[in-house]
Amino acid sequence: MSKVPVVTRRRFMMATGSAFAALGVRSAWGQGRLKINPDEFQPMPIAIPAFVPGTPADGQAGADVAGVITNNLKRSGLFAPIDPAAFIDRITNSDDPPRFANWKQINAQALVVGRVTRQGDGRLKAEFRLWDVGTGQQLDGQSYVTSPEYWRRISHIISDRIYERLTGEKGYFDSRIVFIDESGSAERRIKRLALMDQDGANVRYLTKGADLVITPRFSPSTQEITYMEFGQGDPRVYLYNIETGQREIVGNFPGMSFAPRFSPDGQRIIMSLQQGGNANLFVMDLRSKSMTRLTDTPAIDTAPSYAPDGSRLCFESDRGGKPQIYVMAANGGAAQRISFGDGTYSTPVWSPRGDYIAFTKQAGGQFAIGIMKPDGSGERILTSGFHNEGPTFAPNGRVVMFFRDPGGNSGPSLFTVDVTGRNEQREPTPGYASDPAWSPLLS
Amino acid sequence: MTASDLLRVLRERKGTALSVTLHVLVIGWGLMTFSTRSMEALPEEDVIPVDISVDQTTKMTAGVKNGKKENPKPLVEKVAEAKPVDEPVGKIDKKEVVTSTSTPDPPPKPVEKPIEKKPDPKPEAKKEEPKQAEKKPDEKANDPIAEALKNEAKKPPKQEAKAAPPQPPKPKQERVFDQSKIAALLDKRDPSRQAVTGDVINPNAALGTRTGNANAMVATWHSAFVSAVKRCFNFPYNGQDADQFEVDIDVQMRPDGTVAAPPAIVAVRGPSKTIGTALGESARRAIEQCQSYAFLPKAQYDSWKLIQMTFGLKDLL
Repeated sequence: MSKVPVVTRRRFMMATGSAFAALGVRSAWGQGRLKINPDEFQPMPIAIPAFVPGTPADGQAGADVAGVITNNLKRSGLFAPIDPAAFIDRITNSDDPPRFANWKQINAQALVVGRVTRQGDGRLKAEFRLWDVGTGQQLDGQSYVTSPEYWRRISHIISDRIYERLTGEKGYFDSRIVFIDESGSAERRIKRLALMDQDGANVRYLTKGADLVITPRFSPSTQEITYMEFGQGDPRVYLYNIETGQREIVGNFPGMSFAPRFSPDGQRIIMSLQQGGNANLFVMDLRSKSMTRLTDTPAIDTAPSYAPDGSRLCFESDRGGKPQIYVMAANGGAAQRISFGDGTYSTPVWSPRGDYIAFTKQAGGQFAIGIMKPDGSGERILTSGFHNEGPTFAPNGRVVMFFRDPGGNSGPSLFTVDVTGRNEQREPTPGYASDPAWSPLLS
Repeated sequence: MTASDLLRVLRERKGTALSVTLHVLVIGWGLMTFSTRSMEALPEEDVIPVDISVDQTTKMTAGVKNGKKENPKPLVEKVAEAKPVDEPVGKIDKKEVVTSTSTPDPPPKPVEKPIEKKPDPKPEAKKEEPKQAEKKPDEKANDPIAEALKNEAKKPPKQEAKAAPPQPPKPKQERVFDQSKIAALLDKRDPSRQAVTGDVINPNAALGTRTGNANAMVATWHSAFVSAVKRCFNFPYNGQDADQFEVDIDVQMRPDGTVAAPPAIVAVRGPSKTIGTALGESARRAIEQCQSYAFLPKAQYDSWKLIQMTFGLKDLL
């Protein structure tokens, strides 16, 4: 009996309350700002005409530099370089302010102009200016001098400057990739350690292919590479100096050592050591050569990778029954499992930005490349298929490279995809390629 | 307490409940209607297109009460933009017809005859059945529920009445194509479209013509402006934390729809200052590159003299 008025009163309060709430919200909106959120990602239109030749002989160099920059920015997926055939203006003097109306007309939002000059001393000078077409302001400008053979490197450095100025993030173009070049038939595959620029140029072979090499990893100094090689005896971890060509075995211990990776400061190498049917993680100080055990489990602990600050590391372990990803302190101790999805997780690698851990996931007969946050949340599969493996981050943590093997008689190739899963692209390599590792920025 | 006492109390409380509910509805309606004024400045572009309130519609369609009968022209607040539409002649014709206020007359004429026939069956159907329904409710007298039922009972007869018309198809036949009628129908739409803008400014309202209410249509330029700027907003960033970045930008505008001064970055929010700054610069570029915004209604310059915006990347992921 008494329910009727109670309910009515409550409804009254709710009705009036919601009305006032609605009024309040609308008042707030009324004073708010116009919200502008793009519906979808669109690469930024940018015009990169050939750099003006400082002398008539520099014409080709000017076109080449602009070509490398164009290719870099285009491959990043963030920029849409405009086809030079659409240009309605020519840059004849890179020091003069461009006629912005002519570039605005072809919808360019940014304009890169530059000049390449072979100097009297034989060195190459490259200058560039980045213009904001809309405002007519110069956003950046720099000149570089180097030996002519390093013209690609200058192009990459300019690309990074443009990328950073327009996105606010560090670029990744002035970097290199170490990978395993594969040739020959599937039965008698020759695997060589190879090095190239991130755009696939300047390929160098570091080994001759007599011994099997896998899992190369860059040192933060970029002068050294550590990798595993199947030599005459047990597979061992090696250290290779790119500049001198010298190599040495890391440590001298019985059994197999594998899955090496540098610490962020480059002073230590963390790796797995075989102990019977198990493998545990050890870290070796490169100066003192002292070894420190980090795990001691009746399982296979492998594929360790440091967080960029060196405080923690992630690794793969089957201690729970099947391979999963674990995170623990850099000096060992309790490990926390972070992968809980279906299937198995392997080859974890910590992003240089620290925000994600990339991995290979095997489930349902598919191999996928994915990322997750260091606490295991936010798992995102970037690509999936018959066989994808071995992720490695670009220096800015925005792009992941991996290798894909279609199976059959063909061989693996390298691919890149950004951390949102967009812009998957094949990385140009001279032949089959696997096990890529991205270097830090060279400069 | 007897059962009848209980019923009496219940009825009394029902009455109280009904009274309170009606009050709530009235107050709620008042609040919502009143609050729609603030919606005019609603920044959410998704909401703006839907923001046609009763208030606005009423204003738009309201006739002028204090105008002069002899003033034949519709109220025009601003000069219409020259559009490449080949209807200027037609528009003039339409205006003439509109201002003569003869538009309502043509439609009734053809319906005059059918009206004589139609009303017969309709009222009969309506009157007869409602009466039947009324007889029963009469007994319950003041019971509001009974009244509600009564109202519902009225509806079916209407449907029946609608169902009945198939019989008089003859009136439809009388809708013979008549050029003069078509012109009249077209002319009916003219005032609402042409009242605010025209080829000549005419601030003098004629009695009964549409009033110009451009100032009440603030919401319309919001979405137009947002989509215009969005066309040029192209920030090259696709990080997974994109939705965490926001930049507030204020833009001073000139009456001609151009940007009066470089857009000011008021605030930058996000996990990376450099990325946030780049986002702000990108937004600023977009605003400048997409100008001029000549479509902004000059009569409402005060409402867009200073445009405050927030750029984000929320929907990118």
